[in-house]
Amino acid sequence: MARDPGVLTTRGRVTRGGLVGYAGLVYVFLFAPIVLLVLFSFNANQVGTFPITGWTTQWYSQVFSDPDIQDALRKTLEVGGEVTLISVVVGTAAAFPLVRSNLPVPAVFRVALTLPIMIPGILIGISLLILFTQVFHFQLSPQTAVIGQSLYTTPFVVLLVAARLEGFDRSLERAASDLGANTFNRLRYVVLPLISPAIFAGALFAFTLSFDEFVITYFIIGGYNTLPIYIFTQIKYGITPEVNALASLLLISSIVLMGTAFTLPQVLRGVRRLVRRRIAERQIVDPVGEATV
Amino acid sequence: MSIAHGEGGGGGTVVSLAGRYGGLVPAAVLFGLFFFIPFGLIVCFSFWQDFDYKVIHHWTVENYRYVFHQSAYIRTMWATLWMAVAATGITLGLAFPFAYWLSRYVRAGLQKPLLVLVIVPFWTSYLLRMYSWLTILGSKGVVNTALEWLGITHRPLSLLYDRPAVIVVLVYLYFPFAVLTLYSSIDRFDWDQLRAAMDLGAAPLRALRKILIPQIRPGIITAIIFVFIPILGEYLAPQIVGGTKGIMIGNLIDNFFAGAEYARGSSVALVVALFIVLLLVLFRKSLASKEAYGA
Repeated sequence: MARDPGVLTTRGRVTRGGLVGYAGLVYVFLFAPIVLLVLFSFNANQVGTFPITGWTTQWYSQVFSDPDIQDALRKTLEVGGEVTLISVVVGTAAAFPLVRSNLPVPAVFRVALTLPIMIPGILIGISLLILFTQVFHFQLSPQTAVIGQSLYTTPFVVLLVAARLEGFDRSLERAASDLGANTFNRLRYVVLPLISPAIFAGALFAFTLSFDEFVITYFIIGGYNTLPIYIFTQIKYGITPEVNALASLLLISSIVLMGTAFTLPQVLRGVRRLVRRRIAERQIVDPVGEATV
Repeated sequence: MSIAHGEGGGGGTVVSLAGRYGGLVPAAVLFGLFFFIPFGLIVCFSFWQDFDYKVIHHWTVENYRYVFHQSAYIRTMWATLWMAVAATGITLGLAFPFAYWLSRYVRAGLQKPLLVLVIVPFWTSYLLRMYSWLTILGSKGVVNTALEWLGITHRPLSLLYDRPAVIVVLVYLYFPFAVLTLYSSIDRFDWDQLRAAMDLGAAPLRALRKILIPQIRPGIITAIIFVFIPILGEYLAPQIVGGTKGIMIGNLIDNFFAGAEYARGSSVALVVALFIVLLLVLFRKSLASKEAYGA
């Protein structure tokens, strides 16, 4: 619907129709690969592509009973947990001075803290490979992968928490300290509850990114498998329906996780606003006797 | 100087420097030790020498001379550049009409949900989204099956394992970035200006080109940053759908490291890194020079 239908000429209407059709195609382009993957995961055909020879959930039961996949899943969750913990602690701690202290050359700090997002994963991967194997002589392990992934996930936590802190009403803290709260209590009872949605979103974000991370991990995890690494090694031998099933499960869990990370703060804010408005409405409307809430 | 005044003033708190900047310490350790120092190592290694699967600390520019004198490497570098340019051009070209439609023709309440729908695929694994293209472009894939079913072809076309496949997949992967940045920029445009131009006799396309495009320039530059730069360092897409014919510079780096040629690999990596940093600086400059709409 146009914002001002009155202005639309015939030509405008044709343009609009064309654009609507085009937008439809865009969505097909965006979703077809995902839908197909899920479709093929139920296909009885051994090859994992067309033709569809029947429907089965066999590949899913194979996924659940495959010890290699279970092992890779366990590693992925372990790595993801550690990465999340590191990113949340380091990222949140860094967001405070970034927003609140008058840092000299703030732009430099901002760029330095977000640079790992802009630098291709392969460069982070190989530079850490050099550090770990040529300089430190570490054995590559899931722990070295945790370090690599944290570089990539921490900036997202910094950005999310910093954004939340920017919009933070500091008079709340001042009020708390006027009421006698010390630094710890201000942090514990005022600041943390207010920024917790951002921290939570950051944690989910970090976990999901870690869960899917391939390039950095590939270079520095040594002989271990996370799920993406496992899938990559399987793809080398062609498409299998089992990988399709695993992929579908991962796609769905990613969508759910990321969806939560993105929408939760907004939903919470929405609910809070709604509750506040209801309360306000009641206070204003009730005296007049028109409350219909 | 160990004290500074808290900004609040309300409580009259005196916060030590450690309290104010202490939060940066963990990040400084993590990024310093594992990001900036390794980057320094790449610089050093690129000027050292590979010898018998080891790197000897002998300063030389031999690696650069070697890398820039092998025609195969030069070709890969150029190919990477033009593939990145092509993929970025196509991505932006496809994303612009979409963002324009979303911002201009869609009811305000529907815009955000439709935008989220564009980002949803982006929440899913990057590896898996690429992987699914194998089932689309493969010899028994969706496209070939459809073409044969329609009777257009009788033998599967080989669509995978070459540069066009890589470009298609790159466009797919980076499309949401382009839509997001372009949309946020177009959305702040005042459509009355366009109407005014058309009332004054400008043809619609001319009005778009003269009025809209210059105003969303920062959004376009931001979109280029988010699409072109990551594509330059792309490793996985060519690896999965590109085969040997579709390799990019990222795969070249991987090959050197897989063959334990750390010094040569580092020299290529440094070239890529410096090129990217240079582009970032240039783009940021050009963003700063105009009023920032999109960033």
